[in-house]
Amino acid sequence: MTLSLEVLASCVRADSVHKRVYTDPEIFALEMERIYGQAWIYVGHESQVPKTGDYHTTRIGDQDVIMVRAADGKVHVVYNRCPHKGAKVVADGEGCTGKFFRCPYHAWTFKLDGSHLSAPLKSGLEGTCYDPSHPDFSMKKVARVEIYRGFVFACQAAEGPDLKAFLGGVISSIDNLCDRSPVGEVEVAGGSFKVMQSSNWKVFYENLHDTMHARITHESSYVAAREEAKTLGEMPFELLIMDGNGEPYEFWEKLELRAYPNGHGYMEAIFDPAAATRDPVSRAHFSSLSEAYGEARAREIMGMNRHNTILYGSGSPHTVFQQFRKIIPISVDHTMIEIQTFRLKGAPQAVFDRALTYANLINSPSSNVMPDDVEVYKRCQEGNRTNGGDWVSLHRYLGTDLETPDGWVSTNGTSELPMRNQFAAWKQYMLNPPAVTGAGQLQSNMEDGHATA
Amino acid sequence: MAMQLLDRTIDVSTSPVTPASISAEQQRAVELFLFHEVRLLDERRFSEWLALWSEDGRYWVPRFHDQLNPFEQISLFWEDRMLREVRVRRVENARNWSQQPPTRSAHVIGNITIEGADAAGNLIVRSTFQLTEWRSEQRQLAGVVFHKLAAVDDGWEIVLKRVNLVNCDAVFANLEVFI
Ligand code: FES
Ligand SMILES: [Fe+2]
Repeated sequence: MTLSLEVLASCVRADSVHKRVYTDPEIFALEMERIYGQAWIYVGHESQVPKTGDYHTTRIGDQDVIMVRAADGKVHVVYNRCPHKGAKVVADGEGCTGKFFRCPYHAWTFKLDGSHLSAPLKSGLEGTCYDPSHPDFSMKKVARVEIYRGFVFACQAAEGPDLKAFLGGVISSIDNLCDRSPVGEVEVAGGSFKVMQSSNWKVFYENLHDTMHARITHESSYVAAREEAKTLGEMPFELLIMDGNGEPYEFWEKLELRAYPNGHGYMEAIFDPAAATRDPVSRAHFSSLSEAYGEARAREIMGMNRHNTILYGSGSPHTVFQQFRKIIPISVDHTMIEIQTFRLKGAPQAVFDRALTYANLINSPSSNVMPDDVEVYKRCQEGNRTNGGDWVSLHRYLGTDLETPDGWVSTNGTSELPMRNQFAAWKQYMLNPPAVTGAGQLQSNMEDGHATA
Repeated sequence: MAMQLLDRTIDVSTSPVTPASISAEQQRAVELFLFHEVRLLDERRFSEWLALWSEDGRYWVPRFHDQLNPFEQISLFWEDRMLREVRVRRVENARNWSQQPPTRSAHVIGNITIEGADAAGNLIVRSTFQLTEWRSEQRQLAGVVFHKLAAVDDGWEIVLKRVNLVNCDAVFANLEVFI
């Protein structure tokens, strides 16, 4: 292997990273094993599989998996692979598989937790090591699954911290998203967008808290929104959410960036919570929360006003506009973003309407905002393929980060602390190959079976 | 003006409630109107294209096959006059990084049929389209379009345009210009 631990370690400096971390397919393959093989990854929300047999396919890194609801009400996450010849058992997407999975190739069937149910013409397997109770004849489960307030996470490594310990300080963003419902629950609603970006997955994570790009990259959209508002004589919500990117540097400098171990973090919101109480949607939302929790608690919930949160390896929840953007690496230079919208159960309809409008206008592939991001990500990918230099800068406000008991806080909202924090985590993962990986391992039991058959 | 988008009273159905009896001449006029519309898009004459619309006209590209309305589910486009204007302003802004080079397009429209009229008397027109787009790379889009046209003095104005992409549920990189 060309990528020794020394080489990997030398890719990350305190103030910069080597461009090959974005362009080298070998590094990408290792990331799938060492990051996506070890981190807790958001698979989907329980509400996407409400009934027995409902399934939803997704990916953990480069691994196709199925989230499925079993008859006992439990949610399982299994690899989308039949143990016979390896066929993908269900097509990508979602649906209901009924009481069991049935492979379309030779009709081996599996219970909803993946365990072997039966195979046709069993007589032909007599005298072999075929054993329905042996895991080699079942669809394999992802090593660990944990559900936090309806959010289903899976981890391919059997060992390691539990979900709560892994998420650390950013778990409060999931809490806040749920607490915004008067009954404390959310559900995925309205469908999800899928957007393909011609860039490495890490570029998008870095951009989530890159406040220096907003007024440059999005100039055409916030200028357009402002011009339109001028002709209207008002700034309705649809324009306001595009206008935000145009704030001056002084505004971004005042925001707070938080960073936590394992690459996570969050950023203070762009929109002023006080302004929100003046609009009728927020007022209705506030009164529904007051009724449920009391005014003080309602104020606290709505006052926790965060812009993008980063769950490194999973993606980004946006609590105020009820989104989760799953960031799914496809190849070293392609990344798919799946944008889910949540309904806050029990909250006024207008709150969902607003989330839907936000998804349509800010996150969709046809938004006026995202294409310019996608363009600059692609340019990073293309530029880093040239011989025009080897290092990518992470210098802004280096050395000024303040340590807190559970992480770090920036001294300035334009700091590149989030990128430095992500690469500290990256290095930690990449220099610690998992002791046991799912990928490529010989199934020793099967071999034993053959030896004794 | 604001939040026209959420106005659920708009009739987004494209199933006719009454038959429309129109002459061969009128049918030809409708066809020419549709040809003119896509020509304006292909030539990026966006301000002229904006002028084809009624004041409360809606442009809709559903995200799902057979999507009933744009209120319960996301849409690829759901735009009123204000948002159409914003899109045009952005696309025409010199710092529209993702429109450098600009999207070039060529539409082919066919199978134009008059389906009937809606409750308000708007003409419902169905057509199919092929659209070749180029920006850095070439892409092909296709589908069925429903226009709802209101008669005005000198012709028609668009009250609703619904574009059913054959691949509305695909993974897209971007859809920046009107289809
Ligand atoms: S591959 Fe699944 S039953 Fe043969
Ligand atoms: Fe951006």
